[in-house]
Amino acid sequence: MSPAKKKRIGVFICHCGKNIAGGLNIEALIESSKQIQEVLYVVDNKFSCSEDGQVDIQKAIQEQKLDRIVVAACSPSLHLMTFQRCGEKAGIEPQFVDLIDIRKWTMHGSPQKIAPEKALEKSKKLIELAVKRMRLKRLIPMAEIKTEQSALVIGGGVAGLEAGLDLADKGYKVHIVERLSTIGGKMALLYKVFPTNDCAPCILAPKTAYANIHPNITLLTNSEVKSMGGHIGSFHVKVVQNPRYIDTDKCTGCGECVEKCPVKVKDDVFSAGMGERKAVYIPYDQAIPKKAIIDAQNCLYFRKGVCRLCEKQCPTNAINFGQKPKTVEIKIGAIIVATGFDEYDPTEKSEYGYGRYNNVITQFQLARLLDIDGPTKGQLLRPSDGKEPKRIVMIQCVGSRDMSTNPYCSNICCMYALKHAQIIKEMVLPEAEIYICFIDMRTVGKGFEEYYRRTREIGINFIRGRPSEIIQDTETKNLSLKVEDPEIGRLLKLEADLVVLSCATIPSSGTEQLSKILGLNLGEDGFFKEMHPKLRPVETNVRGIYICGSDQGPKDIPDSIVQAKAAASCADGELRKNKIKLPQFIVNASKLKKGGR
Amino acid sequence: MEEVYVEEFMSPGCVGCPAVREMLEEFSKELGDKLTVEEVDITVDTTRASQYGVMSVPAIAINGILKFVNVPKKEELKNAILEELERQE
Repeated sequence: MSPAKKKRIGVFICHCGKNIAGGLNIEALIESSKQIQEVLYVVDNKFSCSEDGQVDIQKAIQEQKLDRIVVAACSPSLHLMTFQRCGEKAGIEPQFVDLIDIRKWTMHGSPQKIAPEKALEKSKKLIELAVKRMRLKRLIPMAEIKTEQSALVIGGGVAGLEAGLDLADKGYKVHIVERLSTIGGKMALLYKVFPTNDCAPCILAPKTAYANIHPNITLLTNSEVKSMGGHIGSFHVKVVQNPRYIDTDKCTGCGECVEKCPVKVKDDVFSAGMGERKAVYIPYDQAIPKKAIIDAQNCLYFRKGVCRLCEKQCPTNAINFGQKPKTVEIKIGAIIVATGFDEYDPTEKSEYGYGRYNNVITQFQLARLLDIDGPTKGQLLRPSDGKEPKRIVMIQCVGSRDMSTNPYCSNICCMYALKHAQIIKEMVLPEAEIYICFIDMRTVGKGFEEYYRRTREIGINFIRGRPSEIIQDTETKNLSLKVEDPEIGRLLKLEADLVVLSCATIPSSGTEQLSKILGLNLGEDGFFKEMHPKLRPVETNVRGIYICGSDQGPKDIPDSIVQAKAAASCADGELRKNKIKLPQFIVNASKLKKGGR
Repeated sequence: MEEVYVEEFMSPGCVGCPAVREMLEEFSKELGDKLTVEEVDITVDTTRASQYGVMSVPAIAINGILKFVNVPKKEELKNAILEELERQE
């Protein structure tokens, strides 16, 4: 074979104003870069990404006949595309344009900032490595593939529904996979939503109802994603539909089976443990699809081989005890992940006695109690004795902003505490005294500050301070708390009939497993990690898979909707091309063995 | 110009990655300057992983071409590296 053709490599070093130039010796970096094998041209730019900077790069490519370039500047997730487009315009194959981040070591405020000498040494090495990588890099053979005109949405909460409906309205076939037996997610169980105090299921219903009848949407409830293969444009997903033991084509949702069922169990999911349901049940009146489901763990027939009352009662013969899990294989072009959040379980915060003291509940449980269609039909009665509480204390930031549990702020807890305080005061127990113990009230959002002000005006008491401990009176089951209010410099002792913990939002159970199935990165907080926290908040490390809503981080409904629309727009942007170019080896990936991640 | 640049895609907690690391360290000793190995943590350098379409680790690219998305047999990996060395001669 003849010797490999010499490459003509250019290195462009960006000052990024003072962000890089202020933190290392650019002249020294230029000199060392000139010494690297097959580097023909080295120059610095004040701002490589600026119009002038890009023109300079293009001029150099043409005048020096460069065939590969390395730009030493900032993060590839931010600007690689910029420089690839810039190089392509001057005639360089985008694959032969590389961007390396040297700014992380020099920029003020960067967590990785180091001393100038060290930054210079590290930058020298990184440029050397990148040049070598570019010098030896062979062109990746590309293949053109047709994109499936369909998408999968994982999660049937408000974010997933919004994304699914957007795509379905654009003409794509959409499969919505929901783990529970009904779509609607957490929003359907919130009773009311801030800052308008609208009825949550009422404003959600247009979306759930539309998703149910949309000609382009297939709902797969009681289902879970089990495996995924393929690539953008052509993902292959296996979904397992768990048995309902009900023939959904026959079930009319009349509820006669529910009425006859003799087994009552605590409803941990749809009543947050505040009420009961039968072993055969319909989650709630607005459930979609409104079909019954049998809980095999508690059904007498599955446990002991007796009963079958539901079967005898059903007017349409819809009960089918022989149903098995069914695997559905779906081929789609893009995936949107909208798996939402769970409420933090405060049992580990033993100082608050949750799980030991019946009268300590969470805000999500309170939402279910306040719901006029909930387990207590809107009556707020304390769990220990069924009496109306006269004094209620809410504790903010339980499991949030807490280094021993979750350091992040859960974003929505201040607002939902205000909402519940307003509902109790104005609609349920006007005479009740309500106290909110907080660290800071964070009410950032349209109409939120006004909502906070209104909550103060209607007589809710605010105490700046986090109670250290809750003690229960063993006879009355009343609770006492001590909290130091620095604003008045006093230790306050509060007596309460009911304590409500404003718990953190955490990634929904199964997030980690799903991240492994889809190959998605998770952040340190356990939520799905976006491609760039500011500029690419719904894209992920896997092209063609997008995230939205609370699975990316705690957020309220409007923000979830915005993200859902963004994710749908990103998916549409790729799918509408009809054909996309991908590396040949990605297309042929099925021929390669799958790895062990 | 007998050189090979290996990008070793890994992530913290990856079960198969240490085996690949071990093999590459051994080949590095054997091949000296001819072999450059770069460890790419796909949880940090998401763009690089995305460009290559790496969705599972370990994965190995040799001179810019993704060759393995698993733990290869030692012989397979060595042959792939040697083939690349010969290819450029």
